[in-house]
Amino acid sequence: MTRRRVLICVAAALIAAWATAPRGQGGAPRGEWPAYGGDLGHTRYAPLDQITAANFNDLEVAWRFKTDNLGPRPEFNLQSTPLMVRGRLYSTGGTRRAVVALDAATGELLWVHSEDEGARAAASPRQLSGRGLAYWSDGKEERILYVTTGYRLVALDARTGNPIPGFGRNGVVDLKADLDPGLDLTTAPIGLHATPTIAGNVVIVGAAFETGANPKSRRNVKGAVRGFDVRSGKRLWMFKTIPEPGEVGHESWENDSWAYTGNTGVWAQISADEELGLAYLPVELPTHDYYGGARPGNGLFGESLVAIDYRTGERKWHFQLVHHGIWDMDIPCAPILADIRVNGRTIKAIAQPTKQGFLYVFDRVTGEPVWPIEERPVPQGDTPGEKYSPTQPFPTRPAAYDRQGLSVDDLIDFTPALRAEAVKTVAQYRIGSLFTPPAVSRAEGPIATLAMATQAPATNWPGGSYDPETHVVYLHSQSAVATLGLVPPAEGTADGVRYHQGTVLTGARRTGGSGSATGQAGGAATAPTVQGLPLVKPPYGRISAINLDSGSILWQVPHGETPDAIRNHPALKSLNIPRTGRPGNVGTLVTRTLVIAGEPGFGPTPSGQRGSLLRAYDKRTGADAGAVFLPAPQTGSPMTYMLNGRQYLIVAISGGSYSGELLAFRLP
Amino acid sequence: MRIWLAALAFLGTATVVAAHPDVTSVRANAQQLTTWDGVYTTTQADRGEKLYADRCARCHGDALQGVEAAPALAGPSFYGNWDGETLDALFQRMRTSMPQDRPGSLTRAENADVLAYMLRVGKYPAGMEPLDGQGGTLTRIRVLMYRPQP
Repeated sequence: MTRRRVLICVAAALIAAWATAPRGQGGAPRGEWPAYGGDLGHTRYAPLDQITAANFNDLEVAWRFKTDNLGPRPEFNLQSTPLMVRGRLYSTGGTRRAVVALDAATGELLWVHSEDEGARAAASPRQLSGRGLAYWSDGKEERILYVTTGYRLVALDARTGNPIPGFGRNGVVDLKADLDPGLDLTTAPIGLHATPTIAGNVVIVGAAFETGANPKSRRNVKGAVRGFDVRSGKRLWMFKTIPEPGEVGHESWENDSWAYTGNTGVWAQISADEELGLAYLPVELPTHDYYGGARPGNGLFGESLVAIDYRTGERKWHFQLVHHGIWDMDIPCAPILADIRVNGRTIKAIAQPTKQGFLYVFDRVTGEPVWPIEERPVPQGDTPGEKYSPTQPFPTRPAAYDRQGLSVDDLIDFTPALRAEAVKTVAQYRIGSLFTPPAVSRAEGPIATLAMATQAPATNWPGGSYDPETHVVYLHSQSAVATLGLVPPAEGTADGVRYHQGTVLTGARRTGGSGSATGQAGGAATAPTVQGLPLVKPPYGRISAINLDSGSILWQVPHGETPDAIRNHPALKSLNIPRTGRPGNVGTLVTRTLVIAGEPGFGPTPSGQRGSLLRAYDKRTGADAGAVFLPAPQTGSPMTYMLNGRQYLIVAISGGSYSGELLAFRLP
Repeated sequence: MRIWLAALAFLGTATVVAAHPDVTSVRANAQQLTTWDGVYTTTQADRGEKLYADRCARCHGDALQGVEAAPALAGPSFYGNWDGETLDALFQRMRTSMPQDRPGSLTRAENADVLAYMLRVGKYPAGMEPLDGQGGTLTRIRVLMYRPQP
């Protein structure tokens, strides 16, 4: 073999190793960002250190990419986290959920792919551009995969944007037809905002549905999870999240409720460990978010974290976080892979942020809790036909990272008069600790249950991030109150469903919910206010740092300047109110020294210019480390990469009158 | 308490007044207006209320309170998105992207009617002249959460 051939062989081996190396929890590798969460462990961590506290305020806009013309009209809620591999940046965008490849240094459009799905897309319960896409390479081929608005899995050549002819049918797998040939391909209410997860050569895809707050029927499509061969598109397996007779967990469905109950999908991001060969599924709750009378029993695998062998779909372990859920505590985001050291013992762990403000930590090999999770008695309700779980699991460590339930001590306390008004307001409602059940709404009271960390979640779909060097999880959460009331469905809106969400004041809910909506709103909007102020005292949004070796909260800081609605409120004019944070769904990014996240919503900026801020914190202490202006708030989650010796920071922004845009920062 | 009732209390310092006496002349002079200057009519808001119930409430809620990801169209959350913006910006957003199931299916006049209804729920005073969805006057009207101090 000649010397030249040797060099070629070595180079080929290196490329193959690059392409096939396990992509677990080590953070985004090689200065790239090849997966939605940075890596398959969803650490959202990049060990980059060109951008620091010393220069964060010097960041300049390197380029921007407007998504308006990727669809027939502009989009105002761009939630993408782009990917960056080999100098190309990939993202979904626009009202038709197009895919674009950009030059990662300049933002120049390299190619665009778009699917016009017509009525099928229009009927989808998951509209707009989604959260992004997935990248795969074997060292020779490079592919981009995503799920369309109309719930089809598409594989593209990453270099050209052309569909892969040998994948499915001309590059497309019809996820509806594959799930159940009986489904109406146009109208069946199933879709997905999340990206596929590609582990090894397997593409893992979940499912999302219409809101479960006002179902038309107790019967709905079941949210199975599937694995497909990344080369051919052939389905390899299907994991049924509602077990059938003879399967583990089937006994948790009483009165044969497994047969007709649906939902129980995985609409959140899925994580994977390629060394263990496992994928981790964060499952939502079964049909009906607030009333479980038609599905007595714990209802596995509703609201469970399930580990499966992603090559076969075989279940390895599961842990149900909420039994017989009636609070809309869907597991909303990717679990985070974390190799930690607890009491001298190294543990391959997995940490699950949640709507209820607990970070559940397990040994990801066995499913055993790292710290005990105790079954404790919880409040029981009086809704006719409901069969409550007498206990629920409570982690003993880490402590809840945001407020749960609602007590008088949580109420607004800027002035005694405001507190008194809040106390008077909540007297008409049911309040209590975590897992206080929804109330049948009565004019004489309770009008409903008011609770934080439920429908208005502590943490939602953006999830958290994790520093694999220091073993610290960083995540944003909000303190927002939801109104959990039950009323009979409006006439003609439901077949055999006893209750819908609603109150005697508002009537039964008619809204389509998260999947069919377009903007971003804090859950606080749906709860009573006090003279227009939030019912609860600040902080309304915070970032927490949680050490997974000790299970302790290292620091917490309010995230977001005090809104003008509070700062300028007539009742608060004489008060000096410190930073309150703001509610919303915020994704975080961790680098070598910083935690980076945009403030939710529009808010005060140093220049007075309408917009928002992209903030950096010292990840050791939570101290402010800089902020740069954004013309609209962050609606995707930030990501970062190195290219040609320069670190870039990308964030998707939109909201109000500002349409979706990818904004790229770098140092001068 | 219904959200909009809370919003009314929140904006309770304002009283509903009849026409702003100077609206016509102010417009003629192309001066800047705010949502406190009586920029819509009661009749227009009545039309908008019906349209809202038919076309908007399914996602944004009967009380404009917003639900989950559908943003509130009144109250503090609404101001988080729109305080300081022109009515034209809000109008264009509605016109191009709403209702989500049939974007662009409302006429300019209908969108102006819905906007008038939103202003009424927000406890802004009505006036003598309707919001004009055609003439570009919306660019001179700014959404302000609190009534400007004289």
